[in-house]
Amino acid sequence: MLRNILAGLAVAMVAIWSLSAPPPASAADTVKVGYIGSFDTDTGKSTIRGTEIAIEELNAAGGVLGGRMIELVKADTREDVAEGIRAYEYLNEVENVDFIISGSIDDVSLGWLERMAEYRTPTLDTWTSFIGIIDKVVEDYDKYKMYFMNVACDFALAMLYVDFGKDVLAKDMGWKTVVVMQEDTAFAGGVYELIEQVLAPEANIKILEHIVYDINTVDFAPIYNKAAASKPDFIYLISSVRSQVPASQYVKLEVPVPMTGINVAALGKEFWTDSGGLGGGISTLSPIPSLGFELDERSADFYARYQAKYGDARPIFPHFNGFNAYYGMLNAFAAAERAGGFAPLDKWVEEMENEDIVIEKDGEMWLRYAFWKPGEIEPRTNREYTHNIKFDIQPPYDQGAPSMVVIQWYSDGSTSVVYPPKYANGKFEVPDWLK
Amino acid sequence: MDKTTLKLLGGWLLFGVIMCLLPLVVSTGTLRILIFAHFLAIFAMSWDILSGRTGYISFGHPFLIGIAGYTTAILSFRYGVPIYFSIPAAVAATMVGGTLFFVPALRIRGTYFALVTLAFMEILYQMTKVVAPKVTGGTRGISGIETIVTGAVPNYYLTFAAMFVIGLLLWLLVRTRIGIALSAIQMDEEAVKSAGLNTTKLKLFAFMVSAAVAGIGGAFYVHYLGSIAPRGIFEINFLFTILIAALIGGAGTIVGPIIGAYFLTMLLEFLRPVLPGMERYFLYGIVALVVYVYQPNGIHSLLASARRHLSVGKS
Amino acid sequence: MAIQILIHGFLLSGLYALIAIGFTMIFSVGRVLNLAYGVYIMLGGYTYFMAAQEAGLPVFVSFILALLSGVAFGLLTYELLVRRLENNPVAVEISTLILAVVMQAAIILIFSPSPKSMWPVLRGVLRFEEVSVTANILLATGVSWVVLALLMLFVRRTHLGRAIRAVSMDRRGALISGIDPRNISRVTWGLSGALGAIAGVFFATITQLDPHMWVFPLITAVAVVIVGGIGSILGGLIAAHIIGFLETITTTLIAPELRGVVTMALIIVVLVVMPKGLFGKEEL
Repeated sequence: MLRNILAGLAVAMVAIWSLSAPPPASAADTVKVGYIGSFDTDTGKSTIRGTEIAIEELNAAGGVLGGRMIELVKADTREDVAEGIRAYEYLNEVENVDFIISGSIDDVSLGWLERMAEYRTPTLDTWTSFIGIIDKVVEDYDKYKMYFMNVACDFALAMLYVDFGKDVLAKDMGWKTVVVMQEDTAFAGGVYELIEQVLAPEANIKILEHIVYDINTVDFAPIYNKAAASKPDFIYLISSVRSQVPASQYVKLEVPVPMTGINVAALGKEFWTDSGGLGGGISTLSPIPSLGFELDERSADFYARYQAKYGDARPIFPHFNGFNAYYGMLNAFAAAERAGGFAPLDKWVEEMENEDIVIEKDGEMWLRYAFWKPGEIEPRTNREYTHNIKFDIQPPYDQGAPSMVVIQWYSDGSTSVVYPPKYANGKFEVPDWLK
Repeated sequence: MDKTTLKLLGGWLLFGVIMCLLPLVVSTGTLRILIFAHFLAIFAMSWDILSGRTGYISFGHPFLIGIAGYTTAILSFRYGVPIYFSIPAAVAATMVGGTLFFVPALRIRGTYFALVTLAFMEILYQMTKVVAPKVTGGTRGISGIETIVTGAVPNYYLTFAAMFVIGLLLWLLVRTRIGIALSAIQMDEEAVKSAGLNTTKLKLFAFMVSAAVAGIGGAFYVHYLGSIAPRGIFEINFLFTILIAALIGGAGTIVGPIIGAYFLTMLLEFLRPVLPGMERYFLYGIVALVVYVYQPNGIHSLLASARRHLSVGKS
Repeated sequence: MAIQILIHGFLLSGLYALIAIGFTMIFSVGRVLNLAYGVYIMLGGYTYFMAAQEAGLPVFVSFILALLSGVAFGLLTYELLVRRLENNPVAVEISTLILAVVMQAAIILIFSPSPKSMWPVLRGVLRFEEVSVTANILLATGVSWVVLALLMLFVRRTHLGRAIRAVSMDRRGALISGIDPRNISRVTWGLSGALGAIAGVFFATITQLDPHMWVFPLITAVAVVIVGGIGSILGGLIAAHIIGFLETITTTLIAPELRGVVTMALIIVVLVVMPKGLFGKEEL
C-alpha cells in the first residue's frame, strides 16, 4: 500500500514536472494575443478568424510595438463556465498573454470576469452583449476598467428594436397587439423586461400575453395555438438557445400569425442550409454588421480576405463578432502603440478609450469602432455605457453605428436589412402562407 | 494502531510534504491546474464514500455540489452573509440534501437508485431557472462572489489542505469497523443485516459523510471560481468528470479517486497545447473508456499489481 | 381547450413512448441502464439528415439507413463494452456514459455544433378548428403505436421474443433451458438501437439536430421508466401518456416554463409513493 502511494506519487510528480516545463519555445520578442471562447461554434470561429486576419495584417505591415510579431494562442471554453475560468487562467499563467480577445457567451464571460479583474489583463469581448457586465465597469471602474465590449449591449439593442416596432410594425404594418414568446433564459428575460417597459408606451403596441417556455420544449404546437388564440397582430419571439426548434415549428405549423423577434440561429448565412430552406419569412434583430448588411469598402475588403483565406469552411460569412474582432484588434494595437505596450494598464486603457475608427460609406458615417468613456452619458437613455462600443440609438445615427439592424430572410434564401431606414435595402415581409 | 497503518500514514505524510514543497519548483500555471485537480479529488472522494463503498451508485452528485454552491453564493453575494458563516450553512444544507438522497435508498438500490439521483440533479437544474431567478441569477448565475484568498499559491495551499485533510480522514474512516461494514453492504446487504448491524444507520452515515464532503468541496469551489452558473454544475459532463476520476483511479479506496483526479486533470492539460479544441475531449474520453473497460478497478489496482510483480521479481 | 389538450397530449405521449421503449427493453433484459441510448437517437437523426437532406435520397431509403445505423451502433455497444463487463451493471452504466460523451465530441468534430433543423418526414398541417398539428407528429405517433404493437406481438408470439422474455425473467433458468443469453442480448441491443434510431428521426425532425440532443431523450426515457416501472412495455406506454399529458396540460393551462419541473415533481411523487413505479414487475 505504501509503495502504491509512492508509485502513484512518482507518476504524479513526473507528470507535474514535465508539465511545468516552460511552454514550447516561442520567440521571446513576440506579442501574445490570447483567444478565449468556443472553437467549434460559428460565432466562436468568427471571432477567431477576425482576429487572425487582423494579426496577418499587422504582422505584414512590419509588426507591432517596435517590429515585434503577434502570436495567437487559443484556449477553448466549450461554452462551459468552469472550463472558461481554466482557459483564462491558462492564457495568463502558462502563456502569459498580453491581450485577450473573447468570443464567450454570457455566463462564460461572467465566469472569467473575476479572473480578469485579478490578472488585470486587457480584454476585449466580441459576443456577449449582457449589460450587467457593462454595469460592473460603470460601478467599479478601477476594478474592471481593462474590459471592453465590442458589441452594443442588449439594452441598446432593445431600445432600437422598439423603434422598429414603432416605425415598421405599428406604422407600416398597422399592428397594435402582440404576444411575446420568450425562452426561460436570463438573456431573454432581460430583453423582455426592456420591451415591456418601452414597447407599449413608445410604440403603442399592447402586449396581450407573455409566454415563457422551457428551452427543452419538444412540441411548440400548444404554445403557438395558445398564442394564436389570443388573436394578436403578431408574435414576438425571444430565443437564443435551441432557436431552430420554435422557428422551424412555426414554419411547419404555418402558424396564422406573423412572427418576428430575436432568433440567434438566423444570424448566420448557414441558417438557410441548416434549416433545409425552412427559414423564409423569418426576421430577426442582429447586432451589426450582419448578413444582408451593405458593406463599406474597408469591411468589404476584410470580407474578401476572409473568403480568400477560409473559402467554404463554415461560417462562410463572418457573424457580426468576426468584424468586431478584426476592428477591435486594430483598436487595441493602435492604442498599445501610443501607450508603449499593454502595460502599464492605465496608460493603455486611456489610449484605448481614445481609439476611434470611423468608417464612412457614400460620405455618411457607416460604422464606428470607438468606446463610451467613463462618465459619458448616452442622451436617449440618459445613462452610462463605459467601455461598450460607441453605438447610436437615435436617427440619423451620426454619432456611431446603430446598435442593431433587423434582417429579413426571404423564401428564395436571400437576406436583406429592413431597419433602420438608413441601412435598409429590403422590405419587411411576412411568410408566404400569410400573404 | 497496527504497523501497516503507521507505515501508510508515513506515506500520507510524505505526500503532504512533497505537495507542500511543490510551489517552490513549479510555475503558477501548474498550480492553477492542480487546484482543479484538488477540487475534483474532493468531489470524487465524496462520490467514492457513498457509491464506491456502499454500492449505491449516485448519478446525482452535481445535485449535492450545487446545493452547497448555491447556498453559499446566495447567502454571501445576495445577503451579505460573511463566508465563515455561509460556508458552514452550505455544508449543513448539503447534508439535508444528502438526506433527500437517502429516502429513496431505503427502498430501492442499484440501477434504480442511480436513476433517481439523476432525476434529482435534473430537478435542481430546472429549479434554478424557474424558481426565483432574481435570487439565483437564472441561467446566467451569479458572478463576483467573494473569494477566500486570491492568487495561485494561496489557493493551491488552501485547496490542497482541504483535500488532504478530507482524504486522510476518509481514509482513516474506511479502515475502521464502520468502513468495513460499509463495503460489506456493497457485497451483501442482507448478510450485514443478519450479522446484527443496523444497515439503515450505516447507510445514513455514509450518505451524510458523502454529502458533507461534497458540501465542503462545493462551497470552496464556488468561492474559488468567484461565480456559479447552472450550466457549469448541473451538467452530465460535470457528473462524467467526477465519476471518471473516482473510477479510473479505483473506486472504494479513497486514495484511488485522488490519483484519478490528478491523472485526468494532467491528461487534459497535457493535451491542451497539442490539441486545443474538441479533439482533446474526444481523446480524453477514449482514454478514459479504454482504461475503464480494460481495468475497471482503476489505476490504483494497476499500480498494486505492478508492485506485486516487482516484488515477485526481486524475491 | 379540452380538445386541444387531448390532441396535443396524445401526440406528444406517442413520441415519448417511442423514445422510451428501446431504453426500457435493455433495462428489462440486461438489467442495465444504457446511458448511450441517447446516442442512438442522435445517430438516427444525423443519418437521416445526411441521407434525406444532404444526399437527397428518398424518405424511405433514408429511414432504413437511419435504422441500420442504430442497429450497428447498438451491436457495437454490446460487443465492445457490454459483453466485456457483463457481470457488472455499474460498469456498463458508466462505460456507456463515457461512450455517450465521446460520441458527442465526435459529432461536434464531424458536423460542427451548429443546430440543424430538418424537413418533416411527412409534410403538411392539419387543422381541427382552432387546433393545428403537423402531419409529421401525427405520423410519429402512428409509428409509435405500430412499433409498440409489433413489439408486443414479437415478445409474446414469436419464439425469439419468448426467449427474450424468458431471459428478462430468469437468466439462469433460460440458460438451463438452452437459450444462449449472449445471442438474446445481441438481438435486444440491435433492436434497441433500431428503436432508438426510429425515435431519433422523428425527434430530430420535430425539434432540431445538435450534438447535445442525446441528453433530453435520455432524461425522458429515465422519467418514463421511473414512473412506469422496470420491465413493462404496457407500463412504459401508460407512463409516457401520463408524462405527455401532464406536460401538455402544464404548457396549455398553467405555465409553459414549468414543463420540466412538473415532470420531475411527478417522478418524486411516484418514488415516494411507489418506488418501483406504477407497473413495476420483473419481466417484459
